Amino acid sequence: TLRLIYTTTAVQRKNVGASGPEKYTEEFIKKQIEEFNLGKRHLANMMGEDPETFTQEDIDRAIAYLFPSGLFDRQARPMMKHPTAIFPEQRKIQWGEDGRPFHFLFYTGKQSYYSLMHETYEKLLNAQKYQDQLTAQDLPPQKEKRNLAGSRWLTKIELEEMLLEKLSDDDYSRFIQLLQKLMTLPCGDIEEKYIQKFTKEVPVQLEKAVTEPLKYDERGVAFSTGEGTRKTSRATAVVYDNGTGKITVNGIDVLHYFPVLQDREQLLFPFQFLDRVGKHDMVCTVSGGGRSSQAGAIRLASAKALRSFVTEKEVEFMRQAGLLTVDPRVRERKKPGQEGARRKFTWKKR
Amino acid sequence: MLRSLKGLVCHPLRLDHGYALHTAAKDCLSSVVSQDVQTPAERPRGVFYTSENDPAKHTEHHEGRHYSIPLEEVKAVFPHGLPNRFQQQIKTFNEACLMVRKPALELFTYLKSSNFAHPAVRYVIYGEKGTGKTMTLCHVVHYCARQGWLVLHIPDAHLWVKNCKELMKSSYKEERLDQPLQASVWLKNFKASNERFLKEIKTQKTYVWGKQERTEEGRPLGEVVEQGLARTRNASDAVGVVLKELKQQCQHGSFRLLVAVDGVNALWGRTTLKREDKSPVSPEELTLVYNLRKLMMNNWNGGAIVTTLSQTGSLFKPRSAYLPQELLGKEGFDALDPFVPIPVPNYSPREFESCYRYYLDCKWLQHEKARTEDGKEELRFLSGSNPWQLERLAAPL
Repeated sequence: TLRLIYTTTAVQRKNVGASGPEKYTEEFIKKQIEEFNLGKRHLANMMGEDPETFTQEDIDRAIAYLFPSGLFDRQARPMMKHPTAIFPEQRKIQWGEDGRPFHFLFYTGKQSYYSLMHETYEKLLNAQKYQDQLTAQDLPPQKEKRNLAGSRWLTKIELEEMLLEKLSDDDYSRFIQLLQKLMTLPCGDIEEKYIQKFTKEVPVQLEKAVTEPLKYDERGVAFSTGEGTRKTSRATAVVYDNGTGKITVNGIDVLHYFPVLQDREQLLFPFQFLDRVGKHDMVCTVSGGGRSSQAGAIRLASAKALRSFVTEKEVEFMRQAGLLTVDPRVRERKKPGQEGARRKFTWKKR
Repeated sequence: MLRSLKGLVCHPLRLDHGYALHTAAKDCLSSVVSQDVQTPAERPRGVFYTSENDPAKHTEHHEGRHYSIPLEEVKAVFPHGLPNRFQQQIKTFNEACLMVRKPALELFTYLKSSNFAHPAVRYVIYGEKGTGKTMTLCHVVHYCARQGWLVLHIPDAHLWVKNCKELMKSSYKEERLDQPLQASVWLKNFKASNERFLKEIKTQKTYVWGKQERTEEGRPLGEVVEQGLARTRNASDAVGVVLKELKQQCQHGSFRLLVAVDGVNALWGRTTLKREDKSPVSPEELTLVYNLRKLMMNNWNGGAIVTTLSQTGSLFKPRSAYLPQELLGKEGFDALDPFVPIPVPNYSPREFESCYRYYLDCKWLQHEKARTEDGKEELRFLSGSNPWQLERLAAPL
C-alpha cells in the first residue's frame, strides 16, 4: 500500500540540498562539530603535536598512520573530517511550530528562487533610476568596462546548490537573462558586488609547453634531449646537430638493436616529417617494454628533442601529426569471469 | 658494343641525367670527373659504371662502380657460387653487375704481389651480416678465373654439415661418413667450371674404386670426376682424390690454385647430423670436411686460400657474432692461425649512391617517391647502408 507522504518538490530532490529535513537537526550538527574539535585536540596530544596548530592535513596523516588500510577506494578508508564536509548541507525546516512558514514566498514552491528574482529586479530598477538621474543632470553615462573574459555565470547546478532548491532550465535561463540585462546598464559599485556573487573565474588556459633552448656540448655541436614513454618503456634521446643520420641505442647500432623494419620506420618518422633525415645523429637509452613499445618510446623522445631545432609552426604541425602526444594505450586488466580482458569463456548452450 | 648501343637506344635521357643531376656524386668523384668528360662514349650509362670487364684492371679509380660480367662467363665461372638472391637478380635484369669495393681491391693487390714459392697465404674475409663477403669472394674468383688459375670454389661449406639426408659409411676409412649427394653436386659444378684443367692434369697414383673400377696413374683428372659422378657411392672419395691431387701438383708450379671457401667456419663447428643411433657427428668424421681441412693447411705452395666467414648458415652461433674468433671457435682459429683478415664494412656514402643509381637505372625502383632525394635518404636510413637490407628494401618498391 502506498503511504501518502506530505512532501514538497524541494524535498523530493535527490540532490544533496534537500534530502529530508529531519535527517540531521541543527543541534545534531553542532554536537558533531564539538565532538570533532575535541577529537582533534586528543589526536594532537596523541601524536605529540601542538593542538592549536593542528591542520586538516595533519589529521589526515595521523589517521592514515594510526589506521592503515589497504582498501583501494579512498572514500572507504577511515577518515576524520569536519562535519560540514561529511554531512551535506541541506535545508532546515521552513516552518515554525505552529505550522506557519517563515518565508512569505513559501507557497510558491521555489521560495529562494523567486526571492532572488525579486532582489535582482529591484537592483535593475535602481540602476535604471540612477541612469535617469544622470541623464537628467546632463552627465554622460559612465561606461565601465568589466572583465568579461575571465568570468562566467554560475551553472544551473551551482545555482541549485546555492539556493538549495531544484530549478528548471527555463527558470535558470530567465535568471541569467535578468543578470545580463543588469550588466548592460551602466551600473554602480553596489550592483557590481551583487553580480560578482553569481560569476565565477574561468581558469586561465593552459600555457603552451615551453620549448627548451638548444644546448651546446664541448665540441660546439648543438644538441637537445627528450624523454618518451610507451606502455612500459622509458626512453631518453639526445639529438646532435651536424650529423650523418647515425643512431645508437643503448650503445648498440640501430640495425642490430632493431632488426625489424617496422621499428626502424617508427624511428625514421619524426626526422622524415621535418625533412631532416640525414642531418642529425642520435644517442638513446631505453629500458623496459618490448620491441615495438621501445621503438614508440624512442620516437616520442626524439620528437620532443627535435622541438628545440625547429620553428614554432613546425612544432604545431608535429603536435597535430601526433608525434608529441603520449600514447595512452596500456595493457587492459584481465577481469574475473572472463578469459582475458575482453574475451569471454566459450558460451555453452547447456 | 651491343651493350653500348642498347644503352644509347634505351636510355636516351641517361646522358643528361648522369652528368647534370648528380651533384652529390660529383663531389665524391671530383678527381675522376675530368676523365669521364673526356671519354663519354665509353660510359653511356652514367657515372657509376665501368666498361672494364676484366677484374685484373680494376684499380682504386673504379672503386664504387659496377662492372658487368657477360652471361656466358657467369655460367662458366660461377656455376654454383653466387648467392641465391643475386642469381634471381641476374635473371631479372638479364645482366650480372658487381660493384668494385675496397676489400676486393686489397685482395687483388695481395694476390698480385704474393710469392708463389712461399706457403699459401690464407685470407679470411669477415664482416657483419649482409655486407658483401660472398660477393667479394665471387669477385676474387672471377679475377682468378680470368688470370687462368684453377679455381676450387666451395659455395657454402655449411651445406655439407647440415640437412644431409643420406649418410653412408665410408668405404675408404671405417669411422668416417660419406655424403654422396652433396659430393656429386659439387663435382658436377667443379667440372663445369674447370673443364680445361681437368684434361691437362694427370693423376699420380692409381686409385681403386671397387672390384672392377680403377683409375690408372697418368690418367686425366677428368676421369676421376666422371667416376665420382657415375658412382655416387664413391663420390666423396673422388672429391678427396681431386683435392689431394691438386694440392700435390700445384707445388710443381704448372698452374695456380685458388681455394675459395664460403662459410669456412662450418668446418670447425658442430654439425646437426646424427648417425642412425642418434649420436651426434662431429665434422672430422665427414669425409668431405676432413679432406677440405687438409687442403686448408698452409703446407703447400703455388696458390692462395681465400675464405669467408658466414653467420647466416652457421650452427649454434649467436646472431651478433661476426668476428673470426667468435665464429671459428678455438679449434678453427688455431687451425687457420696465421691468416690475413679482411674486414668488409657496410656501404660508404659513395657506394650507397652507386648502388642506388644502379637500381634506378635498371628501373628496379618503381615507386615515385623512391626517385626523389627524400626517398634516397629514407632508404639510406632504413637500410643503415647495409647492402643486404638495401636489397631487401628495394625489392618490393
